[in-house]
Amino acid sequence: MFLLNLSPLEFLAIFGAVSAFVVTLYLLSRSRKRQKVATLRFWAQAQAPVVSKQRRRIQQPLSLLLQLLSIALLLLAIGQLQWGSRDDAARDHVLLLDTSSWMSARSGERTLLEDAKLKAKSYVRALPGSDRVMIVRAEGLPGPATGMEDDRSAIEKAIDDSRPGAAALDLQQAFAFAEQVRRLHARRAGDVVYVGPGRVGEQGLPLQTPIGLRVIPVDAGSVNNIGLTRVGLRRSHQEPEVWDVFVSIRNYGASPRTTPLAVQFGGAPIANKAVVVPAAKTEEFSFRFRTKAAGWIEARLLEKDSIAEDNRAVLEVPALKTAKVAVFTNEPDTLRPALRAHPQIEAAFYPIAEYRPDIPAAVVILDRFSPGQAPKIPSIWIEPPQPAPFRARAKVTDAKIARWRADHELAAGLRSQDIRVPEAQVYSTSQGDVSVAETDGGPIVVARPSTRAVVLGFHPGRSDLKFDLVTPLLLANILRWFEPDVFRVYDLHGGTSGTVTATLDNDAEPGSVQVLGEQQQLPFTMEGRTVRFFAGSPQTVRVISSGREQVHSLSLPDIAVTSWEAPRSAFRGVPGAVERAVSRDLWRYLAVLGALGLLVEWLMYGRARNRLRTQAPAPVEEVSMRQAS
Amino acid sequence: MAAEQLLIDQALLEKLERLTLHWQKSFPGLVGGRNASRFSGPGQEFLDHRHFHHGDDYRAVNWRAFLRLEKLLLKLFQVEPRIPVRILIDSSASMGTGEVPKFHYACKLAAALTYVGLVRLDTVCLQAFSDTLGGSCNCGGGRHRFLPAVHFLNDLQLSGSSNFLQVARQFSSNYPQRGLVVIVSDFLDENDPEKPLQYIADLGHELLLVHIWAPEDREPPWTGELDLVDAESGVHLEIDANQQTRNAYTKAFDDYAKRLQTLAMRTGGRYVGLSANITVEEAIFGPVMRVGGLQ
Repeated sequence: MFLLNLSPLEFLAIFGAVSAFVVTLYLLSRSRKRQKVATLRFWAQAQAPVVSKQRRRIQQPLSLLLQLLSIALLLLAIGQLQWGSRDDAARDHVLLLDTSSWMSARSGERTLLEDAKLKAKSYVRALPGSDRVMIVRAEGLPGPATGMEDDRSAIEKAIDDSRPGAAALDLQQAFAFAEQVRRLHARRAGDVVYVGPGRVGEQGLPLQTPIGLRVIPVDAGSVNNIGLTRVGLRRSHQEPEVWDVFVSIRNYGASPRTTPLAVQFGGAPIANKAVVVPAAKTEEFSFRFRTKAAGWIEARLLEKDSIAEDNRAVLEVPALKTAKVAVFTNEPDTLRPALRAHPQIEAAFYPIAEYRPDIPAAVVILDRFSPGQAPKIPSIWIEPPQPAPFRARAKVTDAKIARWRADHELAAGLRSQDIRVPEAQVYSTSQGDVSVAETDGGPIVVARPSTRAVVLGFHPGRSDLKFDLVTPLLLANILRWFEPDVFRVYDLHGGTSGTVTATLDNDAEPGSVQVLGEQQQLPFTMEGRTVRFFAGSPQTVRVISSGREQVHSLSLPDIAVTSWEAPRSAFRGVPGAVERAVSRDLWRYLAVLGALGLLVEWLMYGRARNRLRTQAPAPVEEVSMRQAS
Repeated sequence: MAAEQLLIDQALLEKLERLTLHWQKSFPGLVGGRNASRFSGPGQEFLDHRHFHHGDDYRAVNWRAFLRLEKLLLKLFQVEPRIPVRILIDSSASMGTGEVPKFHYACKLAAALTYVGLVRLDTVCLQAFSDTLGGSCNCGGGRHRFLPAVHFLNDLQLSGSSNFLQVARQFSSNYPQRGLVVIVSDFLDENDPEKPLQYIADLGHELLLVHIWAPEDREPPWTGELDLVDAESGVHLEIDANQQTRNAYTKAFDDYAKRLQTLAMRTGGRYVGLSANITVEEAIFGPVMRVGGLQ
């Protein structure tokens, strides 16, 4: 045993001083008190023993002994007498409480997390009072819930406040975090305790375990789950109003399961299927549905299982947009085929005489005429006669397009240098103009971003160019440049939070990639066509690149599929009575005993000392007198 | 009447005005008192008839009775004698002990009794005593003579030890006329005060013993090893007081009070025991009236 707060010498010195004080008070309180009284006759009649023999100094030794003993006990409580030796002093422990998505599974009446909380609190209560504990919530990323804490109520509150997350457990990161905490903050390293069932994500298997690992397992035997892992939608290239839908379902159980899958769009069912998923396997199912409208598509597994959060996924479907194009031409047949090739273009043809600058359209095409008043909306000028906003400086015939502006989206996909135009106008460019296509004589396709106008020095619908891919491609690029939202391709994905991988198109420019979370841009890495980013919580993330947008609705929990087995060297369970020493904290018992001792002494001796009782009237009877006759 | 520092407030004085000092014996005395006497004399109230004797006054003959009975009969009338009231206040040292000062209490009580007597036009004599009779103050003639009594009581000092025998001798020689003797004391004489009191009573006085004690006089609160000092004699007594001792002490005190009461009753007087921790008003309208000291 040893005293935590005092050395033996200090204890003896304090106890000696207090004892001397108590004994002095005791002797003084029991010295013969002098009292003046009205008479001594009644004392003599009471035959009070006159003490003639030599007085003993201590009349009530038990009273004094009780007082000294009680004071000693209280002093020992203040000094925090403890069992064991100083070498067994307080230790610091790190408790990893599994709060991954798997912990939301129901096992019987309670969830796995509720079981884990009970076991975690049992462990904390089994520790000596001087030990400190840090609670770390382990899921995708470990997060401390407390510091190194010896306040048991704060620790238990942190445990109670824990909630299951959406990510799978990464035990490797959790162990690494615990080791770092022990190294940096622990006065004397204690246990690293993991409380959970040991279900980890694919990347979460630990490579090595920390020294002094204790595992308190949570039984997940009755957990039986089947859930959605991914839901994806992509608009069909051929028919923009058609969506291709695919759903990925995983059976986490040990036996095959058949579960009904229902898909609704806008509340109306679009697919119902009884899916059969083998044990511990993932199955994918796809189908199509047609809609131009915007709305919500919901995929749901109509079966109750241990984890309800992965039985439903909802994605927002954007409406199919179109671009209205007004074409002012006296020869509509020359441009009609090129414009009709795009299902999202609604082309309206007007004769030149009906031109007006405020035509209600998104884009206007002016075929070989230059209006007095330029249109206010984006415009495509085809061989405009001068004077025109674009000044022609020369005319070339049978010219070959020598260069395309490869770094500009207007020339996206246009590489061919074998294209010959019978005749074309060459234009002078002003500051800010973009030369999209050039011949040796100069630019024949010029874009002016300031006025959102593009001039074509040749007619794409005349000559052999109308059979070339250049024509629709160039027109498509120009229209996409004018109306990017209309021509944007949407991919919708429903998945799990955590590390997300998105695959881009071949022609995606790395510089144009953006990853937007709900509140802010998210950092990402790009390797080839693969974009990788981390979303720690359920949210919607948009990956935008070169006219394509991927919407990732990360609402599904990342359910772990791998079980981790603790090494044999790890301790298991809550420390029992044999394993741990009897609680070293004796101060409570000592304090109670000391107080009891003082109470007993007061009851036995203190109440009888110098107590003044209330006076009752004399019992002498009052005799009524009658007048003598 | 202004209330002096002797502590009888105006409200109590007004209450006392409706009281009367009362004695039981019949005393021969002067006419003018209030209490009836069995002695006949020149009074107003008819008492009895007696036969005419040679030498009686013919004017006292009841001639109507003679016409009826043809016998000479004299009317007798009740005498209402003016009886002296003497209030003796113990001023020995023992009256100064206790947390509640007994002497102060006794003086207040004596003042109250004096006022009652003065209101009824009784003659009241206040006198202190310890080992001898001390100074006295004769009061009479109405309530307006109360102030000198108050001054007298205020000037009293504690001194000496109790000697009832000496006091009784002096009293008997100083006051031959019988009357009501009110003794306000703790009766804590080393010698037995019963015989002196009996002596006073045998002289024809009516005793009203007002026994005053402090709470600790009857139930001492001290325990343990004590060094007791007698307040009057200065004698020390070392004892080891425990609960048993204290119980025996209280019993002895109660036996003593009982003997005083028996003495008073045997001699035709009255006894009232008062603890100094009850108010004078409660004492007067309580125990004192109950024993008939006041009406």
